[in-house]
Parts: sequence; structure tokens; C-alpha cells
Amino acid sequence: MHIPDVLINPGPSIATTAVGAAGLAYALRRVEERHGPRATSLMGMSAAFVFAAQMVNFPVGPGVSGHLLGGVLSAVILGPWAGAVVIAAVLIVQCLLFQDGGVTALGANFVNMGLIGAVGGYAIYGPIRRALGGRRGILIGSMIAAWFSVLLAAGAFTIELAAGAGREDFFRVLSWMALVHAAIGVGEALITGLVVRVVLLTRPELIEHEGEGRDEADRPFARAPGWASTIVAGLGVALGVAVFASPFAWDRPDGLEFVGERLGFLPEPEAPPILAAPMADYQAPVPPGLGVVDEVKLATAAAGLVGTLVVFALAWTMSRVFVAGDSRPDGVMVDVA
Amino acid sequence: MSPDGPLHRLDARVKLIAAVGFVVAVVALRPGSWRLLGGLAAILAVIVAASGVSPMRLLTRWLGFAVVVGFLAALTSRSLAERTGLSPALVVADLLARNSLAIVMMMVLAHVTPWTKLLGAMRRLGLPAALATTLAFMYRYLFVLRDELDRMTTARRARSFRRTGLSFGTLAGLIAALLSRALEREERVFEAMTARGWDGTLRTLDD
Repeated sequence: MHIPDVLINPGPSIATTAVGAAGLAYALRRVEERHGPRATSLMGMSAAFVFAAQMVNFPVGPGVSGHLLGGVLSAVILGPWAGAVVIAAVLIVQCLLFQDGGVTALGANFVNMGLIGAVGGYAIYGPIRRALGGRRGILIGSMIAAWFSVLLAAGAFTIELAAGAGREDFFRVLSWMALVHAAIGVGEALITGLVVRVVLLTRPELIEHEGEGRDEADRPFARAPGWASTIVAGLGVALGVAVFASPFAWDRPDGLEFVGERLGFLPEPEAPPILAAPMADYQAPVPPGLGVVDEVKLATAAAGLVGTLVVFALAWTMSRVFVAGDSRPDGVMVDVA
Repeated sequence: MSPDGPLHRLDARVKLIAAVGFVVAVVALRPGSWRLLGGLAAILAVIVAASGVSPMRLLTRWLGFAVVVGFLAALTSRSLAERTGLSPALVVADLLARNSLAIVMMMVLAHVTPWTKLLGAMRRLGLPAALATTLAFMYRYLFVLRDELDRMTTARRARSFRRTGLSFGTLAGLIAALLSRALEREERVFEAMTARGWDGTLRTLDD
């Protein structure tokens, strides 16, 4: 997910660096206003936590493992802007100490994973949490937000990668990115949900913030349901859908031209094994006679559809099991009263 | 990290600016400028030699990145090939080569510059103090939390028979426990810092 140096053109690189710097400055100000001298230790420790948590490898298949990305998780625990600062710190350390992600792509990576991943993810989480209410809302909201945050980040990644390149490159990259990240997104949703579930069971006050919250004022979306949050969430969902729908919307050049263009080009590269994992099997069999691009488009749409259904089903099941096991004490107390 | 080369003793600001400048130059290079690329590679080779980094270590780390970069390069190579008149294979080679120069340069920078020095340099070059302090704090507890994670994993392993891997649920529980411990530790550390007069500004001997 980290964009390396050189792969995005100088134009988008400069633009995202500017946007990222402005976003980070704003996020830092919000966090400092809210936490004062505590900001440093809270953000620093949380960033160290996210970094360490990313080292936990979840076995997916033979030789393949995934890990938590943590954008939505930190936003759920700390609030959207603090979550963005945490991700920024993680990205800077990864870039400078471990060369994971390029220096000239640092802005782009922060826009994707910090601003879109954490702040955008929170914008999706907030309304769902409010709408469903209670712990079920928190659990389902965080899982769905985790899924969309990965997809939206992948969409932004594609735009940055293909900006300045041709339309065809754009859609080819988009197809692959969407396909691969549908799988990664399911993993992220699952891990985020499992972690949030355990936190809700053991330290619910970290998320629920009853009474004086850790940073209730830092959550523009946790207060009264405003138009802004509804619009942002709607936009997020729409963008997520667009990521999958756009391969279909691509009006491809007429047949001959298309075939001519395809001849003499490299064969479609295979996704590297690190990324392909859990959903690799389900590139639905396509009718023979379709071009490679059509296959990719179909597979993308299938990945999007199946992925969305899987995440919703997972979220729902987990919340059912979880709520059934957990709401009993409340029920007993109500009975006694 | 012991100072074991001429580059270690150099002012961190100089190293940071030089390394980032080198990367920007590599990124801004037009695809297919093989001669310039060769020149930059020669400069980098001299720097690597002076830094005392083991080339084997650079190579193994580089290989890990090269796979992903090659895949992404292949995805975008076609329109770039049309624009520059190079063949797609050459475009991929060019992207890979330029990316490798950038990555190796950043590896050398990380090798010859301790993190605290690098942070000090970034702060003096205009990084917001709040962010610099956060990064210093993060680095301080990064290894503490990693060790905590190791201990928890070992403890969990010791309690499960014959299972080499842990299940998703267990691993998620591990992360949740780490989160809870990290935030508890943050509370203790913050209180201790406050008791010693912490007001949000870090003062170091380098200032």
C-alpha cells in the first residue's frame, strides 16, 4: 500500500505533498487544542502501538500473511484527527527508518492512509455507529469503515499512480488495485472488528467515552447527526461503489483499435503473492472470448460485490454473537430494577 | 550506533538535505536518461562505500521492494512508453533503476544517522516541534511495545500445545491487549513527565 519513490509523477507528488502537509498541520492543531501537553505522549504511544500491531502477522494461506493497517482502529479509539496524526507518525518512521514508502510519496501515502483512511474512515464509522447505536453500532461501524477505508485509499492510490498517464493505464491499475484491495479490505475489517470486540469486552471506556470522553470534542461526527457527516459518509460510500463500477463505465475504443492496441503489449502481470492472497481463488470463471481487460473488470466487480457482502455478513454475525453474549448484565439489571 | 565512518560524523542536516535532494533529482529525471542515471549511480556507489553499509544487507532489503515496484511499474509502463518512445520493458527497467537509487540512498541515510539526530535536523529545518516530539516519543516506545508483544506471544505459545500458529481471534486479542497496555503505560509516563515539569516542549542538550 505504501507508494514507493519514482512511481508517481512529479506533479501529483507535489500536489499530494501540499495537501498532506496542510492536512497534517490542521490535524496537529486540532489534537494540540484538545490534548494540550498530553498530545505528544498520547500520539507517540499510539503510533508506537500501531507500528507494533502491524508486526503481528495474520496467517492467510501457505506463505502468505496479512497485517492490520490500523487507520480506522486508531480513529475509533482516538478520534479522526488524532488518528491521522498517528498514521502520519507511523508513515514517517516507516519511510525514513525502513524505506517503506518513498520520501517524495510521503504526502501521497499520508493523504491515502491518514486523511482518507483515518479521517475518511471515521466519517463512515460515525453515522453507522449513531444509526445502529450501542456496541453493535461501534462494531459494525468500525468494520465497514475499515473495509471502505482500504478501498478508498486504493482508489486514491490509483489516481495518484496513474495521474498524467493514459486512461487505459488508469483503468488497468484501478482494476488490479480494487481486486487486490478488496481482499486486503476484508482482512482489515475482520482484524479491526476482532480487536474492537476485545477492547469493548475488556476496556469499553476506551471507545465509549461515557461522561467526560477522552476527546469527545475532537469528533465532529460523534455529536448530533449533521448534514456534513451524512454527506461525507454518502460520498465515501459512493466513491467506494465508483471504484468498482468504473471499470464497467469505461467506454472502450472500438474493437479493432482495441485489439491493435493490445497486440505488442506486455502480458498482464500477475499480482505478487504477498498481495493476492485470500480472494485469489474467486476470480469468477469468465466466458471464453472476453479480453483480459474484461476478465479483470469482471473479477474486480466480483471482488467488490463478494467483498462487500462478506464484510457486511461478518460484521452482522460478529455483532449478533457479541451483543448476545454481552447485553445480559444490562438485561439483568433492568429486570432487578 | 558507533561512529564508524566519515559519514556518521557529518551534520545530520547536511546528510538529510543531500539525501532528499538526491532522491528528488532521481525522481525528477526524465525516463531514459541513462547517462545521468549512471552518474548518479556512481555517486551513490561512492557514498555506499564511504558509509560502511554491508552491500549484502542493502541487496537483501532492496530485493523485497523490487518485487512490488516492478509490479507497479509494469502496470503503468504502457502509456509512459508511448510518451517517451521507449519500449515498455525499458520503461520498467528505468523505473526500477531510479527507484532503487532512491531506496538505497535512504537506506544509507538511515544507517549513518541515528534517529534522534535526524529528528533534531528535521526540527531545525522546520518540522513542527509537536510532530518532532511525537516522533521522538514514538521511537522511544516502539521497541518497548515490540518487546511487550514478544513477551505476550511467548506466553500465549507456552500455553497452547503443539500449535505453531495462533488463530485470528487470539492474535486480535493480543493486539487489543497491547493497545490497552500501551494506553495504560502512556498514562503512567504522562503522569511521571508532568510530575517532572513537562509542559509539552522537549528540551535537549543539542539546543
